[in-house]
Amino acid sequence: MKTSRRGFLQLGAMGTAALTLGSGAAMLTGCAKQQTPAEGFKTLREVDVYFLGALAPAILTTKGYPGALGKDARQRLLEALDTTMTTLQGHALKQLQMAFDLMGSPVTRVAVGAPLHPWQEATVEEAEEFLVSWRESMLPIKRMGYAGLCKLVSICWYSQPENFEISGYPGPPKKIPFPYPAAGE
Amino acid sequence: MKRTPHIPMVAGIPDPILEGIASGWNVQDAVDIADGSVIEADVVIVGTGAGGGTTAEILAEAGLNVLMLEEGPLKSTNDFKMDEREAYRDLYQESAGRMSKDGSMSILQGRCVGGTTVINWTSSFHTPENTLNYWADEFKLEGASKEEMEPWFKRMEERLSISPWPVPPNPNNAVLSRGAEALGVDWHVIPRNVAGCWNLGYCGTGCPTNAKQSMLVTTIPGALKKNSGLIYSARAERLIIEGKKVLGVEVTALNGDYKPNGNSFSVKAPHVVMSCGGINGPALLLRSDAPDPKGRVGKRTFFHPVAFSFSQFEELIDPYYGAPQSIYSDHYQWLNVSGPAGYKLEATPLHPGLASVLFLGHGGRHYEDMGNLPNTNLLLALIRDGFHEDSPGANIELAHDGSPIIDYPVNDYLWDGFQRAMISMAEIQFAAGAKKVRPSHLDAPWYESVEEAREGIMNLDNRSNSFTVGSAHVMGGLSMGEDLEKCVVDSNGKYHYLDNLYVIDGSVFPTSIGANPQLSVYGFACKFANQLAAKIKGTA
Repeated sequence: MKTSRRGFLQLGAMGTAALTLGSGAAMLTGCAKQQTPAEGFKTLREVDVYFLGALAPAILTTKGYPGALGKDARQRLLEALDTTMTTLQGHALKQLQMAFDLMGSPVTRVAVGAPLHPWQEATVEEAEEFLVSWRESMLPIKRMGYAGLCKLVSICWYSQPENFEISGYPGPPKKIPFPYPAAGE
Repeated sequence: MKRTPHIPMVAGIPDPILEGIASGWNVQDAVDIADGSVIEADVVIVGTGAGGGTTAEILAEAGLNVLMLEEGPLKSTNDFKMDEREAYRDLYQESAGRMSKDGSMSILQGRCVGGTTVINWTSSFHTPENTLNYWADEFKLEGASKEEMEPWFKRMEERLSISPWPVPPNPNNAVLSRGAEALGVDWHVIPRNVAGCWNLGYCGTGCPTNAKQSMLVTTIPGALKKNSGLIYSARAERLIIEGKKVLGVEVTALNGDYKPNGNSFSVKAPHVVMSCGGINGPALLLRSDAPDPKGRVGKRTFFHPVAFSFSQFEELIDPYYGAPQSIYSDHYQWLNVSGPAGYKLEATPLHPGLASVLFLGHGGRHYEDMGNLPNTNLLLALIRDGFHEDSPGANIELAHDGSPIIDYPVNDYLWDGFQRAMISMAEIQFAAGAKKVRPSHLDAPWYESVEEAREGIMNLDNRSNSFTVGSAHVMGGLSMGEDLEKCVVDSNGKYHYLDNLYVIDGSVFPTSIGANPQLSVYGFACKFANQLAAKIKGTA
């Protein structure tokens, strides 16, 4: 089967997952979802923003965004996720977006064990329940989805300099680039 | 209390690439090449990592006009700010998210000018004699005995300043030497390819001081000084094959987001060298419908699947600072050659982004583990794959868009190696004074004694995506040797079924190496490239 592949980016395989889960729902609703980026993003679409935004607090602490970013935390994480997804090459990005599309419709959401109501209305408890159900699943594809989501969100979060203090990392030395004159000077 | 890095600033370091370009080197961004262009050279090399970089310099010094193609971007000293975000995005395959088909294995592989040599941790070992002998016996590889390879390794050790690290290990590596010493387990100091290393700890994000003797600061400038050229952000799409000849390479230009910008061009050369590694190399041949009568392209790709074991100490470890790898143990590596999997033990540097991935999982426990990072040590075990009939390695397949898929389930043979390696690491960590130890497995708690660890580890499950399988070593996929049932590349690096195609990189290794592979790649590349130069110039 050539649709399943790699990545924390490999969530796209969930397109396959919905089918494996015995629901024709993914086929019925189709994947003709909106492809335009959400306001302020290069790649993340509204459906991605709601899904990742709902899961992130549960992934990071179960209680919300750790660290000093406060009210900017959600936006900063989404921007980091957007940057990562923007640099993905064709196939990987398409697969990931197909997976997130499943999170945009009630039928496909239920088929993959997510809440019936839209992700933007989900509580952190519901996000936690969803994560645990995927982590403990007998289906390899759900475990892959769990691991992929956790890695993607964690690496984007903890590599932000504002979040170094959460891990106690004092940070890298400051790098001053060698001052070459700009071309034409 | 707010702490600061022990070396607060890196400044005054020149950038040899920017200087070289200013002096007139032939270096081009693929997007600046007109759509439909045809470019000619004496030799085209696909890929600029350990294999391609070494080959380029040797062929250029022989007076040939070499054109290097690199899929990744050109980043150099001034860009290397020790920032994980920029590094993973710009220097790694698939933004450091490259994985196997079932998601189990995470693969760190370079994708930039200089390839993985720009982001590796500098550990440099000769190909073990056991490995060379196994290749001769099982694959009929000729001319690659220990005695025959030794001079090539020596040459590259000199070229790349490889010698055992003379500075005491950082606390993260000292856990390995201290624990091993206490248990009577054999350990040694790692040879590194560095010159004037500041001991900062940022080899993985691009060396900010030019100390690491990567291809970027050694052989690539060497080739460019000799009238050779480099085109970056240039993805080799297909080889143009006619009969038994490769006429050239079709290339797709990639934009700043690493996506095709719509332009394509071709490079024609009488000699074509593939140096694009054990994943992208087989994929390129598969996309090109290259002759492969026995169906061996992309088979037997190996990764040294890596098991990880965390430990926590009272004292500070600061696992992000200092030379990332300086101590190793081969105690468990060669108990036998072709029986149960052997493994090499080393330390793993932990910057917070990478740490957050390796800790695995989510929520409260993950957050707590992240908070203890300064007191955390991480050891790794490289499982030596490919030396047993139950270790056939990965298959490389193609996705719809022609990109590679890596099919490599963790079977019982590998899992047995994982469990034994996790126990060995836990024993060493406790012997070094760790308060608690946890292998990177979702079901493993922090063990508080070595007895608890041994029992707990034996009860862990081999469930895909429930434990970390890492890899930073891509080997095989285009095995070399004279046994045509198993091999597609001959003992001189020539593709068996094409007259002018050479494969000079780690993809020719018929098994994994059993050690960090960069010096193996350099040594074989040095040998093959010198033979090729002599052949082209008619002196062989």
